[in-house]
Order: sequence, then structure tokens, then C-alpha cells
Amino acid sequence: MQQKLIQIAGIVWTVLYASIIVWIYATEPRSFNEVTTNSRVAAGIYEVNEEKFNNGLELFHRDQFRAARDVWASADPAQKDPRTQFYIAYAFYREGWGRVYYDDALFKQGLEAVNRAISFAPNGILTIDDANLQMHSAAELKTELEQGIERSWKDLNPLKVFRERK
Amino acid sequence: MNLHADRNRALLNFIVLPTLLLSVALLGGLRIDGQSRQFVFIAPPLVTLLLSILLMSLFLRVGAIDMRHWLNIEQPMLSNVSHLLTLIALFFASAQAFNSVLPENGLLHWMFSFFFLWTLWTNQFSIFDSRRLLRSLVVLFATAFVLKHLVIAGLYAPEGGWLRKLTATLLQGIAIDVPAFAPATGYISFFALVSYVGGLLLIPPVPEQPKVTEIAIEDHALTETSDRLSESRKVN
Repeated sequence: MQQKLIQIAGIVWTVLYASIIVWIYATEPRSFNEVTTNSRVAAGIYEVNEEKFNNGLELFHRDQFRAARDVWASADPAQKDPRTQFYIAYAFYREGWGRVYYDDALFKQGLEAVNRAISFAPNGILTIDDANLQMHSAAELKTELEQGIERSWKDLNPLKVFRERK
Repeated sequence: MNLHADRNRALLNFIVLPTLLLSVALLGGLRIDGQSRQFVFIAPPLVTLLLSILLMSLFLRVGAIDMRHWLNIEQPMLSNVSHLLTLIALFFASAQAFNSVLPENGLLHWMFSFFFLWTLWTNQFSIFDSRRLLRSLVVLFATAFVLKHLVIAGLYAPEGGWLRKLTATLLQGIAIDVPAFAPATGYISFFALVSYVGGLLLIPPVPEQPKVTEIAIEDHALTETSDRLSESRKVN
């Protein structure tokens, strides 16, 4: 009977271990910290570090976008929180915005972040209630970032210099 | 005493062996980036799966695995499932053992793959027994390990000396792309290969059945015989 139990335990253990290996190769964690974070995400107990998020928000309000993004990146290491990803995208937008031209590289990163925000938001709809922002929905921010990357004859319009940053 | 031996044998076959093989499957594709020191997981390339198939057929051909005893319709389902999982683990462990000693890309990747394919293909038609095959595999993996993790890694190390300059000059114009991995990658690969060889040593050609099933079968047979006897008495 004991041998049969060992056999059953062996089957269960083999299937479990194999699943863990498949999961590791699918998620490709880059460090032990990421392994822990991914495990928390998989277990459904992942949460953003609120203290770090608020620190990032303070920096964002002081127009220190790069520092804000770094803090938010550590607050949401798994890049799974729609709100944090929205703010990261917004920080890319504000830093990349220019009266004469937009920084394409920053806008592209912003687009990636807002796409992540939309994909993790329930039903793909995300609205942020923040008086400091002029765009409150992720869809609006995405459109703004996409238009910033696109090339058109409108870019040659000299009146463009009078537009305002959102 | 026999009870302990049976229990330990069961632990070895059903827990330790799959764990060893799956650890090889985990570690065989793990590299540590030379600059950022981050994990890089490389899934087994298709060629390693092909190599693994060739190796499995070699195991079957030399009798290192007697498939008739590993998977048999007359065995209990639990044993068949357990054996099947071990064989699958062996397949992926073999693929990842190859992955561990294959250069990741470029000309060297294809050269190594070709030599592995050639060796395993010619071995299919050689006269082998399981012990010889194991020795041959140890030499094959050890050679590939030394070439990849000592010779090539040394030649293309960022802090490489005159040997690196000489090789760079000799191979000028030939695209040999060697990614820079941290020395820890070599240690991981070594551990994976040692575990793989350990796993191969533990695999019995004919797996042992848990004693309890044998007893159960015997009991079942006895019950059936006694039933038949009592029925025949009733008829008489």
C-alpha cells in the first residue's frame, strides 16, 4: 500500500513540477524576484505597492516624469496594474510632447504602456479620475499617442506651435 | 529490511528519477546574461527535439529501455501512467541536455547540431549495449561541454587575451555569433549534465512493479480460483 502511495505521489509531483517548468519557460522571469512576482500574479494575490505608487504620483505632478516612471516600475514590477500602466503611459506622453515635434521613441513606449493598461482593464475600458490630467480615459491617451507617432502633412502646419499639452 | 529496500526503490523510481530528469529539463535551457546577470530561458530548439528522438530510439534499440515492460496493457493503469511520465521526462531532459551544450545561434550552433546528428545517426547502426551507450553519451556530452563552456566561452570572453585576437583574425569575415553569458551558465550546465547522467544511471531497462499490485493480482487470482472451485463443487 505504501508503494502505491509513493507511486501516486510521484505522478502528482511529476505533473506539478512539469507544469512549473512550462510556466517558468512561458513567463521567462529574469530574476528570483520576478519568479516571486509571477507566482503572486498566478496565485491572484498580486497587488501594487501603494506607497511607491503615491511617491511616483508626487514626482509626476512635479513634472519629474522619468523618476516617476522608475518608481512606478518598482511599484508594479509585473506590469499588470492598469492604473499604474496608464500613468506610466501618461508620463511618456508628457515627457515626449514638444511644441515643435514629439519624441517618437517615448511615444512608442507610451503606446506600449497604454496598450498594457487597456488589456488588463476590465472590459478594456479604463477611466482615471485625476484633476491633474486632461485625458481621463486610456482610449483617449492611446489615440493621442498614436497621432503623435503618425506622419502627415498636418505636421507641417506652423500653427501647431500653439497647441497645448494635455 | 526488505520493506525498506522496496520503499527506497519506489522512492527512487517514482520520485527521485522524474525529479532529476525534470531538473535537467529546467536547467538545460537556463543561461545567465553576462552583463545584467539576469536569467535567460532558452526553450529547446527544434533540432534538439530531433536529437532527443534519435537518442530515445537508441535507448530502445540497445535495450536500455524495454518498452514492452515500461508500457504494457496488462500492467495497472497507475504504473503505465507513471512510466509514461518518466519517459516523457527523459525525452525532454535529453532535449534540454543537448540544448545546454549547443551554442545558442550562428555557425557554431549548426556545426554542433550537425556533429550531434551525425554521431547519433551512425550510432543507430552500430553494435551497442546499454553500458557502452552510456559511456559513449558521457564522452559526447563532456566533449561538447568542454568545447562550448570552456574553449568557445574562453575564446569569446570580453576579457580574452591573445588567443581571442588570434581567433578573431583567423575567422575574420565569418559570422560567428557567440552571446556573452556569465560563468555561472557553465556551472548550471555542468550540474544539468551530471543530473542527466545520474538519471540515465537510475533508469532500469525493466521497471519494477510495486509489490502491492503483485499481491493484489495474486489475491485476485486466488479469489477467482477459489470461486471457480466452489462453483465446480456445487455442480458436482
